Amino acid sequence: MKIKDNILKRDSITVEYFYTHTRDRFKVKLLTKPHGFDRIIADQNLHRPGLALAGFVELFSFSRVQIFGNTEIRYLNNLKVKDRITSLKRLFEFEIPCIVITDGNKPVEELLDLANEYQVSVFGTEYSTTKAVYFLSDFLDDQFAPRISLHGSFVDVYGVGMLFTGKSGIGKSEVALDLVERGHRLVADDLVILTKKGEGILMGSGTDLVKHFMEIRGIGIIDIKSMFGVRAIRFQKRLEVVLDLEIWNDNSNYTRTGLDGSTRNILDVEIPCVKVPIVPGKNITVISEVIALNYLLQHYNYDAAKVFQDKLNQRILEKSKDIDRAIDYFEHDFE
Amino acid sequence: MIEEKVKIINNAGLHTRPAATIVKIAAKYKSDFFINKDGMEINGKSIIGVMTLAAAKGSALSLRFDGEDEEEQSKEILDYFKRGFDEL
Repeated sequence: MKIKDNILKRDSITVEYFYTHTRDRFKVKLLTKPHGFDRIIADQNLHRPGLALAGFVELFSFSRVQIFGNTEIRYLNNLKVKDRITSLKRLFEFEIPCIVITDGNKPVEELLDLANEYQVSVFGTEYSTTKAVYFLSDFLDDQFAPRISLHGSFVDVYGVGMLFTGKSGIGKSEVALDLVERGHRLVADDLVILTKKGEGILMGSGTDLVKHFMEIRGIGIIDIKSMFGVRAIRFQKRLEVVLDLEIWNDNSNYTRTGLDGSTRNILDVEIPCVKVPIVPGKNITVISEVIALNYLLQHYNYDAAKVFQDKLNQRILEKSKDIDRAIDYFEHDFE
Repeated sequence: MIEEKVKIINNAGLHTRPAATIVKIAAKYKSDFFINKDGMEINGKSIIGVMTLAAAKGSALSLRFDGEDEEEQSKEILDYFKRGFDEL
């Protein structure tokens, strides 16, 4: 099964957005007047313009955020004022979005003057270049990461991120509510936003507006956070298992051994998927908990289905005729 | 499958009352119903989903109906949008 439509992907952010979102988090300070805040950052990568400053501007990735580390600043300081201006002008001729000076370096005066002239903002941060590059890359990666919105409930069950999907009205929210009652934590109900982090990781969260509100048919809208407290919610969780709820269907094939391992493809990530049929008397909440625990066991290299299969194969090899009891002698145990 | 584009024309936008009505109409039918706004698609049968759109006056939405009774479903919902949620 593959979900393709509905992918939200940001193509660009403005310098203003970049500044307001990194200001507090990464201690980014504005060193010039707020120039060119409507300039576009359309690339998630950063660039250190050492070679461009030295004069080589072929393949200069000018559309990226430009990082001035110790090397760039030291290089500029070693130049004569006239050369410094030529060197910097070469950079400003391009449509660069903004400049970030790392490691608390003092910007050379000519840099600030030219930035004011060319209407480019210069930022500074106390973090060392490696750290700043790491933080800013992570931030930009997240901004440009592919996202998808899905209809379902997302709950953290024993630390396993579980997404409940299925038709409208099948009882996803009720299962989520039941899980919360039993001490698990709700991430989002109804509308789940999944963001791809790196390769093979999907992070799920709710939307800003809805957060931990939930609709239960017959009651209306309830707020999980005020009702069950802060222990019942969390903001984000990695998606690990998809539970597809459906009304029991005689033609559908439900797993009996758990050895087939079907998956669901979301944003090109294969997520283990379990199809759970709903029949009267079946407690989906307990089943979800068991699926979560089974998933954890598999993580610790214990696969119950496989262990049982190995035992069976061993027994077949031994060609044993009798079906033995689980123990071979009752030692005066009349319990 | 039927796809239609609509605009919100009432002053208050797509607030709680019309959202609840849309969900009620949609749930009467078997067909699936989705609303897309600025690339975010939500299930039109869920009230939280519809309210998440926070669609103000003038917003453009695209509606998608899919299923056996899509004709009747789309007709009734489109009519409700065109009436400005009975708030004109």
